[in-house]
Amino acid sequence: EIYSSINQYTPNHKCFRKLVHLHKNKHINRPYWIYFSSPQQQKPALIESTEEFVFVERLIPPSRIPDPPKHAGPAPSGWTPPAETPPPLPYMIRRSRMHNIPVYTDLTHGNRKMTLVRKVEGDIWALEKDVKQFLQELTGKDMPTQVNEVTMTLRIKGHFDQELKSWLSSKGF
Amino acid sequence: LLVVSLNPVKGFDHAWLLDYKTNAFVFQERRRGRGQHGGNRSGRGHKGERQRGTRPRLGFEGGQTPFYLAIPKYGFNEGHSRRPQYQPLSLKRLQYLIDLGRVDPTQPIDLTQLVNARGVTIQPLKRDYGVQLVDEGSDIFAAKINIEVQRASEGAIAAVERNGGVITTSFYDPISIEILIRPVPFFMRGQPIPKRMLPGEDMVPYYTSAENRGYLADPDKIQQARLALAQKYGYVLPDISRDELYHMLAMRKDVRQVFFGLSPGWVVNMAERKILKPTDEKLLKYYTS
Repeated sequence: EIYSSINQYTPNHKCFRKLVHLHKNKHINRPYWIYFSSPQQQKPALIESTEEFVFVERLIPPSRIPDPPKHAGPAPSGWTPPAETPPPLPYMIRRSRMHNIPVYTDLTHGNRKMTLVRKVEGDIWALEKDVKQFLQELTGKDMPTQVNEVTMTLRIKGHFDQELKSWLSSKGF
Repeated sequence: LLVVSLNPVKGFDHAWLLDYKTNAFVFQERRRGRGQHGGNRSGRGHKGERQRGTRPRLGFEGGQTPFYLAIPKYGFNEGHSRRPQYQPLSLKRLQYLIDLGRVDPTQPIDLTQLVNARGVTIQPLKRDYGVQLVDEGSDIFAAKINIEVQRASEGAIAAVERNGGVITTSFYDPISIEILIRPVPFFMRGQPIPKRMLPGEDMVPYYTSAENRGYLADPDKIQQARLALAQKYGYVLPDISRDELYHMLAMRKDVRQVFFGLSPGWVVNMAERKILKPTDEKLLKYYTS
């Protein structure tokens, strides 16, 4: 079959026999330089080793988000870890997947600025009251807010993300 | 919207998401007014080119030289596909990644480590030649690291060395970049690790100068440059040789090496967790040249 048909064109020499043998198993991916290295009985074409595989393991990307290391107080970049025990308030604001406070800015129609507080659990109306009071002290104005009980989010008119983030982290969320 | 209650448990005051069901009116196709109150002029206006559908081409200004012809041409984007781009990485973001444990400061920080930590996104197909270190947040930065980037500003170099770290700028050709950011799909291909190419003529002065901490520069000149920078920015250069992590901080890649610990020519077998190394002299000579 294949063996005999290839033998017609190639001389029956030792090195070409190995070539034929490799051509038989075409579905296995072999590096191209195997075909060019001359096979000698004393020296193998390649060396296998498992010692340096440690370096390969370092290159594999992690599939899970790692837990942040313990910091006593705020980290140099400004990130503060959440408190050990949640604060004794009727609501709770969870941290995001990347361990940050879930307060985001929104901009629609090019000029409509909003701040969004997500991942709220518990009594969202109490949070709305506290936020309104905090913003009243900050700006002196009554900021319009929208509570969404289905998605448990709070929308506030205007950009207040930095102030709200520092206020929530000081509370211990 | 027609509210149809699909909630089996009645007596709940709150509306449930399940309660809302869309109706056929939402999926009507929109056509120009045809007949009755959509009819008469059928939304086309009154007389003129608007109603008669003979408006001129886009950009025509009634005979006045249009804007797109009045402004002269200038080669702003000429040769844009031949310009190397470097994704910026601020020291503030790097510190944030270290604080959250996504980047390990006890190991040499490479482009692979940054991409694995999802700190930067490199697109080699958009002429990205790597990452550049920007000195935004240099006053906050407080981490001792051995970092290797493709470009770095002077302030960033000063901030890294002030904290006792080591910074190197090195060149990766586009194929090496592609392999560096996605090592696992490359290993699955079964190809040998290629050797990293040297920079082109225009980039050789950048990577051979000690001020930029180039990987092709003279180590003695780099030490002099470190002292000069410390004097310029006004800080005391810490002595790294006394450090416990000195061995890690002194780790550097060979000029032709793409990965730490793996030399060009090797094939990685991910399934069997083995590395195959060639033994032929010609191949070894090629890969070590």
